[in-house]
Amino acid sequence: MRERRLILVVDDEPQIQRFLGHALVAAGYDTCLAATGIEALAQVAAQEPDLMILDLGLPDMNGKEVIERLRLRSDLPVIVLSAHDQEMEKIMALDLGADDFVAKPFGIGELLARLRASLRPRRAARAEQIRQGGLVIDLAAHQVSRDGEPLRLTPKEFDLLAALAGNAGRVMTHHRLLQLVWGPAHVDDVPYLRVFIGQLRQKLERDPARPELILTEPGIGYRWAPAAEGGQPP
Amino acid sequence: MDKGPVLAPDPLMDKFDPPPLPPDDRRWMTAPRPVGFLGAAALLAAVTLAADRLHELLPENVSILLFLTAVLVSAAAFGFWVGLASALGAIAAFNYLFVEPHFTLHIARPQDLITLAVFLLSAGLAGILAGRLREQVDAAKGRAAALEVVSRVSGDLAGAKSTEDVARIALRHLHGLSQGPAVALRAEGGQLQLLAAEPADHLPEASDLDAADIAFRRGRAELAAARGWSGSRLSFYPLSVSDGMGGQRGIVLGHARLDPDRSDRDWREKTIEVVLRQSEQALQRLALAEAAEAERRRAVTEETRAALLSSLSHDLRTPLATILGAVTTLRELGATLPPASQTDLLAAIEEESERLARYVEKLLQLTRLQAGIAAQMAWVDAGDAVQAAVTRARRSWPRAQIAAELAPLPMIRAEAGLLEQALFNLVENAVKYTPGPIRVTGAVEGRAEGRELVLAVSDSGRGLPPAIAEWLASDEAVGAPPGAGLGLPICKGIARALGGRMTAARSVSGGALLAIRLPLPADDPGNPDGQAAA
Repeated sequence: MRERRLILVVDDEPQIQRFLGHALVAAGYDTCLAATGIEALAQVAAQEPDLMILDLGLPDMNGKEVIERLRLRSDLPVIVLSAHDQEMEKIMALDLGADDFVAKPFGIGELLARLRASLRPRRAARAEQIRQGGLVIDLAAHQVSRDGEPLRLTPKEFDLLAALAGNAGRVMTHHRLLQLVWGPAHVDDVPYLRVFIGQLRQKLERDPARPELILTEPGIGYRWAPAAEGGQPP
Repeated sequence: MDKGPVLAPDPLMDKFDPPPLPPDDRRWMTAPRPVGFLGAAALLAAVTLAADRLHELLPENVSILLFLTAVLVSAAAFGFWVGLASALGAIAAFNYLFVEPHFTLHIARPQDLITLAVFLLSAGLAGILAGRLREQVDAAKGRAAALEVVSRVSGDLAGAKSTEDVARIALRHLHGLSQGPAVALRAEGGQLQLLAAEPADHLPEASDLDAADIAFRRGRAELAAARGWSGSRLSFYPLSVSDGMGGQRGIVLGHARLDPDRSDRDWREKTIEVVLRQSEQALQRLALAEAAEAERRRAVTEETRAALLSSLSHDLRTPLATILGAVTTLRELGATLPPASQTDLLAAIEEESERLARYVEKLLQLTRLQAGIAAQMAWVDAGDAVQAAVTRARRSWPRAQIAAELAPLPMIRAEAGLLEQALFNLVENAVKYTPGPIRVTGAVEGRAEGRELVLAVSDSGRGLPPAIAEWLASDEAVGAPPGAGLGLPICKGIARALGGRMTAARSVSGGALLAIRLPLPADDPGNPDGQAAA
């Protein structure tokens, strides 16, 4: 295991590479660069990076194709950089297995937060309990309590909550949540999902009109707000 | 349905199918004309005279043959009825001259009665056969004429460029076929208006307009009134086409009633149907072509807009992303950044801010050009404008190799700022696509009236994509192909605003050679250089 995580930056704009290079090094990562999709795939094979930052507007192939080809042989975390007019491509990229996205232009803080969330190992499978604020989610016992007071959730609501909270800080697309909780036959029932999210917010959020735990990514999906830095259990 | 071989069954034709005509309107065989009777009588008289003079020399049976020949000729030349009349006349004459007793119509010998009966039978049969032959010849001629008209109609209509053309062509043929007046009317605001007539000075009567209106409103043929009845003398047929955008429009064509006694009436009628059908198809074709053209224009506009938006989005977002990213990096990670990185980030911010400023400047100019605000023309030293653009470009890209080679350039009428911007855009385009040397040249080309100031930028890159080069040199003001970016369309816009044009070619080294060409007055008093050069 390397001491510093290696981040592959794939972007054809030299200026973006330039500041990302400085920022990532200062944040404690090593970087390698690629300007095209072909180069990116070659770099993945040669350098075995820990994460890929992928711009969707590459000159040689679109981001969707890069992810498709990458996913054939690697589950390397991918953060997609997208412009606002690449909404569809972004959703496709996420559905194809990109882990998260950052819309251009972005502050470096936002990118680094996504980076940390994506590099963090998924914990849902192992963790028995998720604690966040006053909320305790006991995955084994299927119980949820806030400030010591038990909350009553239906089984589907609990599954949805587990899917979200188990991927704290990562965006979960509509498709992905529907598939995880309701199965592949229901991946298009987005209105259904909205109803359940509404119910969950009613039960979990202190102010359901201003959610702090289940954040909406408009048109894409939902994101479980990451716990404050350092507040994570080891 | 009884259709001739020219007409394939066509659902479109249903509305043109005339209802059956009244039985008295058609005769078994074409009515004879007086001239036919006169001709036959003259022929018979000649034969009678000849037979009378020669009856001493000729045997009687030869005389019969002479009469028979006259009947045949008359029937062949003038038709069945004339042939029949001629046969009766011939019998009478033969009986009068050659049958005993002579010079009476009495028949004394029974064998003469048989002779006459056989003669009558032969003459009648010959008349019928010859008459039929005559009619078949007429019909064949009619068919040929009809076929010729049909082929001419489709040829003429293929070249029609407007509804008026179609109407004019259709009327010409309808006039020829019906041998009477023909009119075309067009619905405008729910009212039929006269579009064209053949002959051109023919004015439809009130009854014609009523009939046309009925045809138009009911959407089916309105036939001319039969002889002896009141009503329009013209038959009207509505031609309606959909304009490809859900609407209906069309014209009404009217032609004179066909003479029911004409032997070629059937063929004329069918040919008229073909003319009507082909006119309708021509109108439909025009409507579709129009709709397709409108659609194409809309698509081009949309494409341009999409290309501009996508280029806008990319060109604005990249510098913004760099600036925001670098600034937040400096602020949030400043403590851990080595000094060299800090300096580089600051430099990146500066460069990208300048790039953004240039871009915004271009956008403003494009907006101005598209809004059609006229250039403020003044006398400008072309050399100064080139020099200014080159200086600015060198400052923006210190590492680029930009060489300016300027012949002494005349003063021109232009807006200095626009001219400089156009040249700067050309240099920027070259810098973007080639690392090699860039040459900026200025020269005067051509003589007298055709004199042009040519300001050109050539590079050693891979050259322009053909679609973009073609568009730059074209007359189209909008519709830059995707990938043209903002700079080149602005150049073209400026060249046009200054009264000139752009050309694109290959440079000596195989790269792009883009030129702005501005016309020079041949002998302008305000332009001393121009006078010297001329």
